[in-house]
Amino acid sequence: MLVHTINGLIERDLLEIKDIFTEEDNARIHATEWFLDGELVRRDCNVSILRGLEVNGAQSSFK
Amino acid sequence: MANTAAVPKSFRLDLLNGKHAFGTSVVRAGTGADTFKAALYLATATINADTGAYTATGELAATGNYSAGGATVTNATAPANTGGTGIVAFWTPSASITWTALTSSGSFDCALLYNSTNSNLAVGVFTFSAQSITAGNFSLTMPTNDLTTGLIRIG
Repeated sequence: MLVHTINGLIERDLLEIKDIFTEEDNARIHATEWFLDGELVRRDCNVSILRGLEVNGAQSSFK
Repeated sequence: MANTAAVPKSFRLDLLNGKHAFGTSVVRAGTGADTFKAALYLATATINADTGAYTATGELAATGNYSAGGATVTNATAPANTGGTGIVAFWTPSASITWTALTSSGSFDCALLYNSTNSNLAVGVFTFSAQSITAGNFSLTMPTNDLTTGLIRIG
């Protein structure tokens, strides 16, 4: 299988792959780094937003 | 019978559907949903609650498969107020926002959601730890579209 890198298409078997998982307050991040002879030749990332934004206002009574 | 002060449940949903204008409004071309986009910003940028509309300042450069203005958000699911007591209205893009074969012009940590149909008005600012992409893919996966986690919620 060939992988797109900054050096063009490279055989996957030649690449060292490092997965990095990060947990944040409101996101889960998964980055994948691809190395060829120690050089970073590709980096992917997925950010999963865990919770969106809320416009919040408490209801009140006028009486 | 008794009366109860309240913001009607339908009001919040109507806000998301653009049915109220308490100030000067805009002339709309139709009744369809607006187009929303997401732009990525360098970690050195200043995008925050004072950002009223999309700006090119601090945005990733239009290189490495990134286009100025960012990517169009898939919007196939209408706002809703289902679940719970119906008080919270919510909306979430119906698909992840993805850039492929991207090489970012720098480290970025922010996505601005904005309305490209209506003067590029800002909708939300989302931040995460700084990331750089090299000849790879970057995606923002959306939260579950419900009253507790939906991307935009009016509660």
